[in-house]
Amino acid sequence: MNYILSKEEMERVFAAISVDFESYGAVEKEGEVVFDRVHSLAEVSENRSRYAPKEFLIRRNENVLYLEEQQRKAVFGIKSCDLKGFYLMDKQVLNRDPFYTERRNKTLFVNFVCNAPCEGGFCSSFGGPVLDEFDIQVLREGNNYHVMASDKYDKYFSGYRNDDGSYFSDFNRKFNTEMPPLEVDGLENRIKWNSPIWKEFASRCISCGACNYSCPTCYCFDLYDDGDERKREWDSCILSGFTSSSAGNIRSGLDERLRQRFYHKFVYFKKSKDEFLCTGCNRCVEDCPVGIDIKEVITHDYSLE
Amino acid sequence: MVSVLTVCPYCGTGCQIVVNDEGTEERVIGYSRSPVNEGKLCIKGYSGLSYNFSRDRLKYPMINRDGEFVRVSWKEALDETADRLLEIINEYGPDSIAFQASAKCTNEENYLMQKIARLVGTNNVDHCARSCHSPTALGLITTLGAGAATGSIESLAAARTYFVIGSNTTEQHPIIGTKLVTERKKGKNLVVADPRKTQLAELATIHLQFNPGTDIALLNSMMYVILEEHLEDEKFISDRTEGFQEFRKAIDKHSPEITEGITGIRPEELRRAARLIARDRPTSILYAMGITQHIHGTENVMSVSNLALLTGNIGVRGSGIFPLRGQNNVQGSSDMGVLSEWYPGYVPVDSPKVERFEKLWNKRLPRNKGLALSEMFDAAAEGRVKAIYVMGENPLVTEASVSDVETAIHNLKLFVVQDIFMTLTAGEADIVLPASTSLEKEGTFTNTERRIQKVNPVYPSPGEAKPDWWILNEIGKRISGIKGYESPRDIFEEIRQAIPGYAGATYDNIYPIGKQWPINEENPAGTEILHTKTFPLGRAKFVPVVYAPPAESVDEKYDMIMTTGRNYFHYHSGTMSRRADILERESPEPYVEINAVDAKRLGIRNSQAVTVESRHGTIRTKARITEKVPPGIVFVPFHYDESRVNRLVGKQVDKLSKIPEFKVVAVRVFA
Repeated sequence: MNYILSKEEMERVFAAISVDFESYGAVEKEGEVVFDRVHSLAEVSENRSRYAPKEFLIRRNENVLYLEEQQRKAVFGIKSCDLKGFYLMDKQVLNRDPFYTERRNKTLFVNFVCNAPCEGGFCSSFGGPVLDEFDIQVLREGNNYHVMASDKYDKYFSGYRNDDGSYFSDFNRKFNTEMPPLEVDGLENRIKWNSPIWKEFASRCISCGACNYSCPTCYCFDLYDDGDERKREWDSCILSGFTSSSAGNIRSGLDERLRQRFYHKFVYFKKSKDEFLCTGCNRCVEDCPVGIDIKEVITHDYSLE
Repeated sequence: MVSVLTVCPYCGTGCQIVVNDEGTEERVIGYSRSPVNEGKLCIKGYSGLSYNFSRDRLKYPMINRDGEFVRVSWKEALDETADRLLEIINEYGPDSIAFQASAKCTNEENYLMQKIARLVGTNNVDHCARSCHSPTALGLITTLGAGAATGSIESLAAARTYFVIGSNTTEQHPIIGTKLVTERKKGKNLVVADPRKTQLAELATIHLQFNPGTDIALLNSMMYVILEEHLEDEKFISDRTEGFQEFRKAIDKHSPEITEGITGIRPEELRRAARLIARDRPTSILYAMGITQHIHGTENVMSVSNLALLTGNIGVRGSGIFPLRGQNNVQGSSDMGVLSEWYPGYVPVDSPKVERFEKLWNKRLPRNKGLALSEMFDAAAEGRVKAIYVMGENPLVTEASVSDVETAIHNLKLFVVQDIFMTLTAGEADIVLPASTSLEKEGTFTNTERRIQKVNPVYPSPGEAKPDWWILNEIGKRISGIKGYESPRDIFEEIRQAIPGYAGATYDNIYPIGKQWPINEENPAGTEILHTKTFPLGRAKFVPVVYAPPAESVDEKYDMIMTTGRNYFHYHSGTMSRRADILERESPEPYVEINAVDAKRLGIRNSQAVTVESRHGTIRTKARITEKVPPGIVFVPFHYDESRVNRLVGKQVDKLSKIPEFKVVAVRVFA
């Protein structure tokens, strides 16, 4: 259902949610927006967080021999691009990965729709910024909050003023003119295996892993034994030890590994799950120290190659 | 969940990181407001911090009793360390003990260690900068008056040409390297002089793949060309330098046609490179261990300085000399005076200025040169040094000629090691003191561009581990009569009095993004570019240097040249990086890089176990066939204690700075 709430009413909703959940939110620290415990909605920053908060569902590093019961958490202020990442991950890991699934089921995300396009972002190309799937989706207009609540969390809004939701669709339309979507249709067939861009990217890349670590859709991990623990840790498909077999990594060249990353996002996932594994957040571009731009992979003219 | 802003514990770039901690599951992000890394990190920053939680961490003080380490209380460990040190001092005098500080520890800790050493009466205090940038300190102090990078990392973007000599920047200082990569892609000139085909060499406008150890021949030839073609900056030379005429005479013998036989570089290539550097200014000159780790290390540095002066590439944004510091705090630890010939702030031990410290510390201080790191173990072997106290160093892996280090340690009456892990070196100690990591303590690091940055604790220390400053403070109280410090801030306040360049820095004003020294009354905001109007010496000095061959050369038996260094995934003796699982997975074992031509000639296949033998020792390792090294040259990283390449490195040192020649070793390789 759709609602419209005042600031005070939103605080009351926050308080009600915080009874059932441990509340986290985007907060500013030394000019950096990070996630931390919050005790009121007023503390929550509307600015985009410095990183996609995927550790709420996939921890950077954890022992996988035990699955402890998880706390119920509510995360306020996640942006649509980052939340969309979880819906894409769901297609691959939900109900397969017990750790992810346990946390996913117990985490409530309250996504804040960006009021204006961010520099470099291209979420409109992948169904943003107003999402079709959400727990509670919020769009502020002055002192009022437009809210879309999913059935599961609709109860927190009972008694508040209903809204027809047209503000969201109008806003999304306007946003899409300000951030014209890139031409992604058919990308899975257009992209070229032998394009020279892979080698050009590789000539710059220093294998830092930033594109993977920053990506709201990257879910791959490494598994290793550590004493009496078996750990998994976020991994990077750019590294040569990734998916190593007895013969080493079957993609021995850095250009091949970079291509694999983009093929996974724009070809394999699309063909198997019917979605591109990218939310247009632009985080991999921002964190890349050598300016490798995923948008170039989308807009590159492959026809002459 | 907490978020703490601190500094990456790896290389000297000094990237600022924000660590989000929830238990032991850290997330690391680059601090986007940092002028150093602008939010970017390399793989060591992202995936290198898990050593902090390794089960191998030292948690309790231990004393070796009859060949076995026994857990003891802090009081017992500290008392015994102090008592035994005092006994040795009383019996053999203060110069019978030696201290090894660490460029991985904070400024406060290094300052404290040298103060303790000097208060007990010895200048035998030195650290790993001896093995990396002691030639820089000495060389640039001689020519310019300050042994530090002249510009900022940010200012690199203003250059039109980059000259990188002896630095594999994208692997060793990755975030600085990426700035060069990005600028090169925008069309800037990049000249790389390196025997290996590094990533930057692949991208370079010109790659001068010269023979190891022939740097001066190469640099002098460049300057020969610049003078021959009148590309020198006459105004800069006449207004701001001295010694030009004498220098010019030394250059005359180095025409590229003559040096080709030494360097292996074709004259026309060298001419093109020299023209770019001199003409398309400003030019930033970056160097690292490829320049310093030679028996002519100091002269190499001075030669680099000559080139910058000749082309007027100093004092302007985008120009300058950038000695890239290997460890997080090499600049700072050197500033703090944990070098046997300098008091804090590079006051020579034999200068009248030492009085400044005698007043500050209220004690008469030693004025004789102490033992350099490379000399301490020899002195121990000869019985002149009876006790060595090591903080956060692993000389059994990192020193040249490590088998002699082993012998020397066994000859000591007391060997104390303060570390975060039971390293190969700590395993030989009489007393082991467990220290906190830089993610567990407060203090400051000074990065490669002189930026003093605040280090903040993210995690609690494991077990009874304590910050190095706390341990030193306790030892200092017992042996040197200091009254003791309350906190790192307390020590920093004294550093501000001791070192004029640090006078204006406070814990408050260096947070969050740090300040570059000198920061004082004249430069309250710090100093981004040094030498804009004048040099600390007044006029900068040209120092004539003439090429002489490296200590080792090939012969019929040892027919290849080995160079040593780091790789991208590991750091120093690997105690940290090899306990970070992703890093260790990426580079799990020692290897020797060898060209396919040599491999074929020697019948060696990729990944085959081979022996590398020098005149000093032998190791077994795996062959890695690669085009990165040219025929005749092999490269071995020094991170691996299971195959210590420093067994192969001889003891020849630069007579000026006493740095060993880690970069040129004659070897033979066989299956």
